[in-house]
Amino acid sequence: MTALIALTIANIRSYLRNRQAVFWTLMFPLIFIFLFGAIFTGGNNSIKVGWVDADRSEASAQLRSAFAQVPIIKLVDLGQSDALEQMRHGDVSGVIVVPAGYARSAAEARQDPSRQANVIVYTDPSQISARGSVMQVTNGVLAQVNLGGRLPAIVATARDLQTQDLNAVSYLTPSILGMALMQLGVFSAIPLVADRENLILKRLNATPLRRWQLVGSNIVMRLLIGIVQTALIIGVGAFVFHVQISGNPLLGAGFALVGALSFLALGYVIASFAKTEDAANGMVSAVQFPLMFLSGTFFPLEQMPNFLQVVARALPLTYLSDALRQTMVNGAALFPLWVCMAVLVGWSVVCFGIAARFFRWQ
Amino acid sequence: MSNARAGAETVISVEDLRKWYGEVRAVDGVSFDVGRGEVFGLLGPNGAGKTTTVEMLEGLREPDSGSLQVLGIDVARDPGALKERIGVALQTAQLYPMLTVTEVLELFRSFYRRSLPSEQLIEFLDLGERRNGRTSELSGGQRQRLAVALALVNDPEVVFLDEPTTGLDPAARRALWELVKRLQEQGKTILLTTHYMEEAEVLCDRLAIMDHGRVLEMGTVNELVGRHFQERTVFFSAIPGLSDERLAGLADVTGVKHDEGEVLLYSRDVPATIGALLAATESIGAEPENLGVRRATLEDVFLDLTGRALRD
Repeated sequence: MTALIALTIANIRSYLRNRQAVFWTLMFPLIFIFLFGAIFTGGNNSIKVGWVDADRSEASAQLRSAFAQVPIIKLVDLGQSDALEQMRHGDVSGVIVVPAGYARSAAEARQDPSRQANVIVYTDPSQISARGSVMQVTNGVLAQVNLGGRLPAIVATARDLQTQDLNAVSYLTPSILGMALMQLGVFSAIPLVADRENLILKRLNATPLRRWQLVGSNIVMRLLIGIVQTALIIGVGAFVFHVQISGNPLLGAGFALVGALSFLALGYVIASFAKTEDAANGMVSAVQFPLMFLSGTFFPLEQMPNFLQVVARALPLTYLSDALRQTMVNGAALFPLWVCMAVLVGWSVVCFGIAARFFRWQ
Repeated sequence: MSNARAGAETVISVEDLRKWYGEVRAVDGVSFDVGRGEVFGLLGPNGAGKTTTVEMLEGLREPDSGSLQVLGIDVARDPGALKERIGVALQTAQLYPMLTVTEVLELFRSFYRRSLPSEQLIEFLDLGERRNGRTSELSGGQRQRLAVALALVNDPEVVFLDEPTTGLDPAARRALWELVKRLQEQGKTILLTTHYMEEAEVLCDRLAIMDHGRVLEMGTVNELVGRHFQERTVFFSAIPGLSDERLAGLADVTGVKHDEGEVLLYSRDVPATIGALLAATESIGAEPENLGVRRATLEDVFLDLTGRALRD
């Protein structure tokens, strides 16, 4: 046990002192999230905003014309229920509601500084760019309307509305976690082959250290990195892109663990057949790129041509990512969870079996 | 062939060891014994089978046939028990480049039930200045000393050193030789492989000369040289026009060999041979260049055994 712990600590130290390795394993997935997050949440110059006028007064009409003058938003007049429905479907990015009685409360507020008139603004917290724009425009317009009063008479009340479909970043966050766990496992082949090439494995084999201790410490270290990665990815998704993390955290963690193990097993298979570090690099690329692009990481499987969908169904990452989407962000199921678990467990067992048979220590 | 030193307990016993890779007979019927406290050398060119032999003794490779006993342990049967009690320095390029000397020593200590304090090893191997330096920043000599330190972590009774000075500069090589002698003073049994004749002469109590997977000769340096040469060696740069027949006919010459542009005459009476040689060269209007005399060495023994030079 001491040997296992000492070796794990040695591995972690070596890893942490290799700045490049740390950067790539931890930052690479985040770069993807930021990149795609920016692509999918930015975009259109004019933002469609639903306008619901429940007051139908002169004051509300004035407010509307103030909003209409802002070039980056395009107002769409709608009834309240229609407006929220359209927003759920993504037809409008936000909804501004002028409640009934607005004219009266606005007038009262101008007389009596202790009172305020309200405008309600609905935005989706996961669409950060649109949300930011709508709130900014609203605050700007209201600041102008309020000009002259010592205290703001009219204020915006922000309301969140989660749109129905998984938006792009919510889809991406669990997918990229799956991708990161896949890479963590597959890339483990490279240092392993390097250690064999540099005769480190042989040297260790000349000590009483058991092979299970060596393999065990390697797996423990990778899993620890996996935990850090998972925390970072979920953290960025939740706090930067406001992805609503909901679902079963225990089940999600279980899938992350089994997924990490199954791709570590794949890494060991690669290390079993790669004779040199260069060969290992090539094989890792050959394995990880198809997995990355054909497993529905960046866009849903249904958007791929049929024959690629067949390929995707054969790839383990498809099942890991699907399970993670189901358990982290309530994503729509491609496969039942038990199927995902069975595929990942089966994959781990087969790969570790192959590695146990073919892995060479020297 | 001589056995382990009289009276000493045998700690390594190799009998008819064989390891073939397909058609290649890497080790082909090797036998030898090493007594406690001895420094025993396997001398031979690259590919002679030295490393394969040692790795089978260390439990790293399985022999095809033959018996191996180290410290009374049957290597094939109980490699785990063996590994607790031996120390190994491979021709390893680098161990854990990102860790410091102390960290690597501590890591290896964790593998053994019994181990020496890191500080003691650092002291013994003169690595104090580098104890907190990364192993990747060590010089060749320091790296090799660290490899030996790792071999000593468990205070082993038997130490295997595979080509310990290959690639080292002369000063670092001498420092390592001193180290091996100090280990011997501590009573450790040492089995080393080398292709440096001088190293074998300086360090080894006894040695086996290996080539093509076989032991050609075994004994102390004096035994080996004495067995092949009562004579001394007269050497000079080859002279065109002086045939081997003519040289062999010179006074008291018992043999003629060529070694990389040098002619070697084995002589029972050096003054007589040199006198005859000078007369012969003068008669063809030449003069022997780089003329010299020495005792026969292991190099001569190897040349005599295989017909080629040991050094590459």
